[in-house]
Amino acid sequence: MSHRVWEVYRAMIILHASASGGRLVLWGETAPGPAGKTARKGTRRVKPAAAGVPRSRFALEGDRLAETVAGEISGFALSKEQRQSWVAWLPTNVDGALPSSPLLIEGAEDRGAVELAPWEMPALVLTTEQAVAVLVAGIDRTTWGPGVIVGRTLAFWANVLRFAGALVARQQYLPGVVAGGDGAMFRAIWEPVLTGAERLEAERQARSMPHACRALDRGSATDSTQTAASTVFAEVLGALVDHLVRTALKPLGKGKGRFTSVHDQWVHALRAADGRMTGDQAELARLAEQVGQWRRPLDAAASAPFRLCLRLEEPTDDVEGRWRIVYLLQAIDDLSLLVPAEAAWKGKGPEAAVLERDGFRPREYLLSALGQAATLCPRIEASLKSVAPAGYDLDAAGAYEFLSEKAGALEQGGFGVFLPAWWSRKGTKLRLAARAVVSSPKMTSKAGLSLEEILKFRWEVALGDQTLTLTELKALAKLKTSLVKVRGQWVELNPEEIQAALAFWKAKGETSITAREAVRMALGAAKPPGSLDFAGVQASGWLADFLGQFEGASGFEALEPPTGFRGVLRPYQSRGFSWLGFLRRWGMGACLADDMGLGKTIQTLALIQREWESRPVRQRRPTLLICPMSVVGNWHKEAGKFTPELPVMVHHGLERARGAEFKKRAGKHALVLSSYALLHRDFELFKQVNWDALILDEAQNIKNPQTKQAQAARALKAGHRIALTGTPVENHVGDLWSIIEYLNPGWLGTQAEFKRTFHVPIQAGRDPEAARQLQRLTAPFVLRRLKTDKTIIADLPEKLEAKMFCTLTKEQASLYAAVVEETAARMEDAEGIQRKGLVLATLVKLKQVCNHPAQFLGDNSAVAGRSGKLARLTEMLDEALSANDRALVFTQFSEMGTLLKNHLQETFGREVMFLHGGTPKAQRDRMVERFQSKSSDAPPLFILSLKAGGTGLNLTAANHVFHFDRWWNPAVENQATDRAFRIGQTRRVQVHKFVCVGTLEEKIDAMIEHKKEIAGSVVGSGEAWLTKLSNAELKDLFALREEALAG
Amino acid sequence: MARKSWWGGGGGGQYFPPSRPRKAEGGIKSQSKRGGFGESWWAKRWLKVLESFDIGARLARGRSYAKNGQVLSIAIEKGTVKAKVQGSRPKPYDITIEVKTLSESDWAKVLDVLGRQAIFAAKLLAGEMPQDIEPLFQEAGLSLFPTKLGDLMTKCSCPDWSNPCKHIAAAYYLLGEEFDRDPFLIFSLRGLGRDALMARLGAASPKRERAGGSPAKSSRPREPLNAEVKSFWGGDEAGENIEEPRGVVEIPKASAALPRRLGGFPFWRGDSPFVDTLSVVYTAASPRGLDMVLEQGGRVDQLGEE
Repeated sequence: MSHRVWEVYRAMIILHASASGGRLVLWGETAPGPAGKTARKGTRRVKPAAAGVPRSRFALEGDRLAETVAGEISGFALSKEQRQSWVAWLPTNVDGALPSSPLLIEGAEDRGAVELAPWEMPALVLTTEQAVAVLVAGIDRTTWGPGVIVGRTLAFWANVLRFAGALVARQQYLPGVVAGGDGAMFRAIWEPVLTGAERLEAERQARSMPHACRALDRGSATDSTQTAASTVFAEVLGALVDHLVRTALKPLGKGKGRFTSVHDQWVHALRAADGRMTGDQAELARLAEQVGQWRRPLDAAASAPFRLCLRLEEPTDDVEGRWRIVYLLQAIDDLSLLVPAEAAWKGKGPEAAVLERDGFRPREYLLSALGQAATLCPRIEASLKSVAPAGYDLDAAGAYEFLSEKAGALEQGGFGVFLPAWWSRKGTKLRLAARAVVSSPKMTSKAGLSLEEILKFRWEVALGDQTLTLTELKALAKLKTSLVKVRGQWVELNPEEIQAALAFWKAKGETSITAREAVRMALGAAKPPGSLDFAGVQASGWLADFLGQFEGASGFEALEPPTGFRGVLRPYQSRGFSWLGFLRRWGMGACLADDMGLGKTIQTLALIQREWESRPVRQRRPTLLICPMSVVGNWHKEAGKFTPELPVMVHHGLERARGAEFKKRAGKHALVLSSYALLHRDFELFKQVNWDALILDEAQNIKNPQTKQAQAARALKAGHRIALTGTPVENHVGDLWSIIEYLNPGWLGTQAEFKRTFHVPIQAGRDPEAARQLQRLTAPFVLRRLKTDKTIIADLPEKLEAKMFCTLTKEQASLYAAVVEETAARMEDAEGIQRKGLVLATLVKLKQVCNHPAQFLGDNSAVAGRSGKLARLTEMLDEALSANDRALVFTQFSEMGTLLKNHLQETFGREVMFLHGGTPKAQRDRMVERFQSKSSDAPPLFILSLKAGGTGLNLTAANHVFHFDRWWNPAVENQATDRAFRIGQTRRVQVHKFVCVGTLEEKIDAMIEHKKEIAGSVVGSGEAWLTKLSNAELKDLFALREEALAG
Repeated sequence: MARKSWWGGGGGGQYFPPSRPRKAEGGIKSQSKRGGFGESWWAKRWLKVLESFDIGARLARGRSYAKNGQVLSIAIEKGTVKAKVQGSRPKPYDITIEVKTLSESDWAKVLDVLGRQAIFAAKLLAGEMPQDIEPLFQEAGLSLFPTKLGDLMTKCSCPDWSNPCKHIAAAYYLLGEEFDRDPFLIFSLRGLGRDALMARLGAASPKRERAGGSPAKSSRPREPLNAEVKSFWGGDEAGENIEEPRGVVEIPKASAALPRRLGGFPFWRGDSPFVDTLSVVYTAASPRGLDMVLEQGGRVDQLGEE
C-alpha cells in the first residue's frame, strides 16, 4: 500500500525559473523517491557543470522537466544544448537541500541550522521566445494541471512579463546598440525606458524578487548568485521587452545581401532574431556613439533620481485671486518627498541637501526638464526669464487651460502634476450634461406591462441637479471664464461644451424608446448624441417604479411559496425566490450567485414549481437544467424532496432518448436534467423543445464565450434564463461578458465593444470609473449573498447540515455491480461468523467503490475523472478556497485520505494536511496549531481519519466539514463535526455529507433518517447491526439502482 | 586639386559644366520632409549664409547631392567640419569647413548675459535654440552664426574652381539638419562644447554614464544570496502577494512618441526615413504588449476585434 502512495506522491512537480545573463533557466523540484538517498549517482544525460557537487534530492530530472513543459506549451522543442546541468545554491540543512514547499516533504526545515550549499540541478536554458511562452502559461495560475505547480519564482517572472508587456504597450522603449558579450560584436536591441512611476514599480518588483530567482550558477563572472537583484531583474525585463518588440513584425528581408550603410544594418538587426551586427568595428563603435548622442536627453532624464512636478494652487481669497503653479522636484524612490525648485537653485540648506544624490545635478536637470516642459506649455517658458524660476501666477482662464489641457500633456510627457482634489476626482465633477427624460404612464395594473413597451423620451441639458433652460444656457455662453465658483465649488464650463449643449438643444426633440433601452440607459450604458456627458435618466410612471425595484433589488412583490413546494424557505431564500420571480416577470435573465450552502437549489426549485403550478396543464412547458455530471444526482434528489409533484427526467447516458422521442418525453416533464457535455452534443435535440426556462448550474462553466457549451447555451431558446454559480464571477472581468450575454443578449454590447469599454480599461487601466459602470450595469442581474452578510447570518442556523448526493461514474457502477454479484453468489452458502465477515467485507468494498475505484483496486492508477464524489468534493473545495474558507474532510479509510491529500494538493497546488492513526503526537499538535493559525499561508484544507481525528481536537478555524464517506452512526459523525462546531467557533459551520445515489450509501442514509429517534439504540455504535439483516434485506440494501448512474 | 579660401574671397562666378556624380551607397540621407533643409529658425540662419553666395546652379546641385546620399560622412570637431562627398570621380572628395571660433573674452561677455535668465540654458538643454539669443550676441557686438565675410573657410578636393562648390554645399545642407537636432552644434563650431557651455551657465553636466545606449557593464553591483528560507523562496516582501503592474496601460494615440521627442537621428544614412522606420515597429508592438497585460492564466482572451 505504501509503495502505491509513493508513486502518486512522486508525481508532484514544482516548476522554477531563475535568471542568468538575461535568460531564464527552468528547473524543477519533486519529492524524492523512496530511493532518494541514492539518487546522487542517478543517471545523468549531461555532465554536471561542477564535478563533485551532488544532485539535490528534490531535483527534477531533465527528461521529466522537458516533458512537463512540452505537455503544457504546444510546439515547445528543445535543442540538446539547451538541456544543461547547473549548480543551484539552495538552503540546506543536515538532511540536504530544503524544498520550496512542504508539498514535497513535511517538516523538512525542522532539523538544524540552514545555510546555502551548491547542488547539481538539471535545467533548461530557454530562448526568450520559449521564456515568453512559459511565462504566459504562468500568469495568474497556481498549477498547470494536477501535480504541476507554478512555483513562486516562475510566478514572479510571469508578473515581470506583464510589466514588460505594459511598457511595450505604452511604447516606453528605444532602440539601442550594445557591445556583444565577446567584445568583438555588436547587437541591436530595444531597451525599456523607465520614467517616474514605472521606475518605481521596477524597483519595487526587483526588491520583492525571491532569491531563488538568481540561485543558479555556472561559475561565470556574471553569475546571478553574486549579482544584485535589481541588475538581474533589469536584464530579464530588458530581454522580454526586446523580444516582444523585435518579434512584433516579421524580420526585414536582407535585399541585396549587404547593407548600404551601418544605419540600414542597424534597422535590419533591430528586427532580426538575434540582433547581431558584424563588420567594421570602428564603424559600429561610431554607430553606438551616435545612438548614445541621439538618446542622451531621454537617458539623462530616465536616470535622474528626481522628476519635475507642477502643482496648481487655488487662490486663497475667493474674489479676484490669483492661481499659482509651483515647480517642485519629486524623488522617484519616495514620491512623498517634494523639494521646491528654489532649493535647487539656491543649492544650500537642508532641502538642497536632500537633492544630493550620486551623479545628480539638480540645476541641470531642472533646467532641462523646464525647457522640455516649456515646449508643452508656453506659460512655463515665460516664467523662465528669471535666474531661478520657481513657478508662475495665472488667472482663472489660465488655470482652466492648465487643468483641461496642459496638465494632461505634461503628465504624458513624464512630469508630475498635482491638481486640486475637486478636479481630479473623476465623476464628482459638476459639468454640463445631457439627461434623458422618459415618461411612462402610472403603474395601475401590472398585467400587460413589459420592457418592450414604447415610451416617450426626450433629452434635456442639466448642470448637477438643475435643468438648464435655453436662456440660462445662453447666459452661460456669454461668460468669459471657464472656471466659475458656484456655491463654493469650482465648476468647469468650457465654451465648446456650452456650444455643444446649445447645438444639442436645437437638435433634440421628442422621440420614443423601448423600456428595455431606457433601463440600459438608466444603468449608464447610454451615450447622448454629441460630445456632452451623460447625466442619467429621469423616469416617471411605472418605469420609475420598476427602476427602483430593479436597481435596489427590493420593493418588488414578495412571493408566497408555491403550494406544491415541500420545504421552508428561510427569509433570505424567500427574497431570492421572489427576486427570481421578479426578473422572470420582466423577461430578464438572472444570475443567482449566493455562497455555497445558502440554498441556490431550493430557491430555484421553488421558482420552477411556481411556474409549473401557475399554468393550466396544457400550457405547461419543461425547464432544462444543465449542471456538471457530478451534481445531476443531487438535483434529482433535491427535486424529489422539495418539489415531489414535478415530473423530473434525467437526460444522460447511452440509453438517453433521441430524436422525436426526446421531444415527446421532455414535453411530459417539468424538469429535464442534463450535463454540460450533452448541452453541446445534444444541442440539436434540445433545440426542438420550446423550453419554459433554461438554467445553468455552476454557470462559470460557460465563462469562456468561445466554448461550444457557451455557444450552445446562448443559442437555445427559452422563456427565461437563469445562471447559478457560487464563484464570484465579478472577480474576472473577462468572464462576465459570456454569462451576461447568455442571460440578457446584447446587454453589454458585442464582445469587441465590451472589450473596449470595460475589459481593457478595467484590466489594463484599473479604471475605477469603468469598473463602477460595469458593476452598475450588471448588478441588477446578479444576486450574491455571502454567509457572512449580517442579514443572512441572522437567518442561518449555526450549523447547516446538507447531504450531497453524488453520481457514480460508469467505472464505479460496473465495479459496484461486480462486487454485488460476487457477494450474492457466496452469500447463499455462508453461515454464522463467516456470513458476518462476508457482509462486513462487502460493505467495505462497496464503500471503497463509492469512494474511488483506485481505492478499491489498490492499483495506484490515475485519480482524476473516475469518481463522482471526488469530482464534487474538488468542485466544492475550489469554491470554499476562493472564499478563503477552511475545511475539514473526514474519511474512515486512511488509503482514501492519502489519495485525497495527493489529489487535492496536486489540483490546488497548496499544502493539504492529513492526520491519521499513524501520525505522531507532536506532529498532530503541530498540524492543529498550523490549521488554527490566523496566518494567511496556513494550510486551509485538513483531512482527518474519522478514528484518529474524530475526537478531542479543536479545529474551529474550519467552517466547512465534509464527510467524504459515511460511518453509519450519526453519533460518531456528529462528534467529528463538533471538531469545528464547538466553543470558539464564530462563523456558521456547513456540514456536507456525501452520499452516492442509488447505492447502499443512499439506502442506509434513508434508514438512519427514518429511524432517527431510535437510531442510537437500534443502529448501535458500529456497523455490526447490518449483519443481522436477512439475505433478502441485504440484497435489497446492496442492490445498485438505476439512478446510480443517471442520478 | 585642393583650394582653400575664406568665404567672400571671390572665385564664385566661374562656370563649371555639371558632371554626373557616381551613385553613392550608404550616404547620409536628408530626413527633412518638405524639401527644405533645417526646419528650425537657427538651422535656417546657418543655411542663409551659404545661400547668400551667388554660386548659381551649384546650390541646387548641392541640395540634390545631399538628398541623394552623396555625402558619405561628416565628422565635427571644435571649429572644424570634415566630410567626404562622392562626386563624379571614383575617390570621394574631402571637404573641410572651418568656422571662426570666438575668443575667450567674447564668450565671457556673452555668457554673462545668458546666465541671467534660466530660459537660455533650459531651451538649449531641451533641444531648442532660444529665440532671443541673436540680439543678445549683437548687443555684445558679436554674432553666433557666421554672417561676416571671413567667418567661414572651406575647401574641397574637387576640380571645381568655385568655392563653395556643390560638394561643400551638400555637406553644408546636411549640417543644417543636424542643427535642428542639436542646437549645441553652433556653439561647438564657435569653440565652446556642450559641457563647457553648461558648466559656465551654472548647470554642470552629468558624467557620461552610458555610451552608445549600452548599460555600463564594467561593474555589476554585488548582492549575496540569503539562506533565510522564506525570502529565498518567497522574496523579501514575503507574505505580500506579487502585485500586478500599476498604472494605466493604454496604447498611445501617437505612435513612437519617444523617438519623435528625440528628433532626427544624427546624419541618418538608412534607406528609409528614420522615424517612419521605427514607427511601424512601435505601432505593431503595442497590441502585442497589451496582450501580455490582458493575459489571464495561459489563455489570451479570445475576444475579437471588430
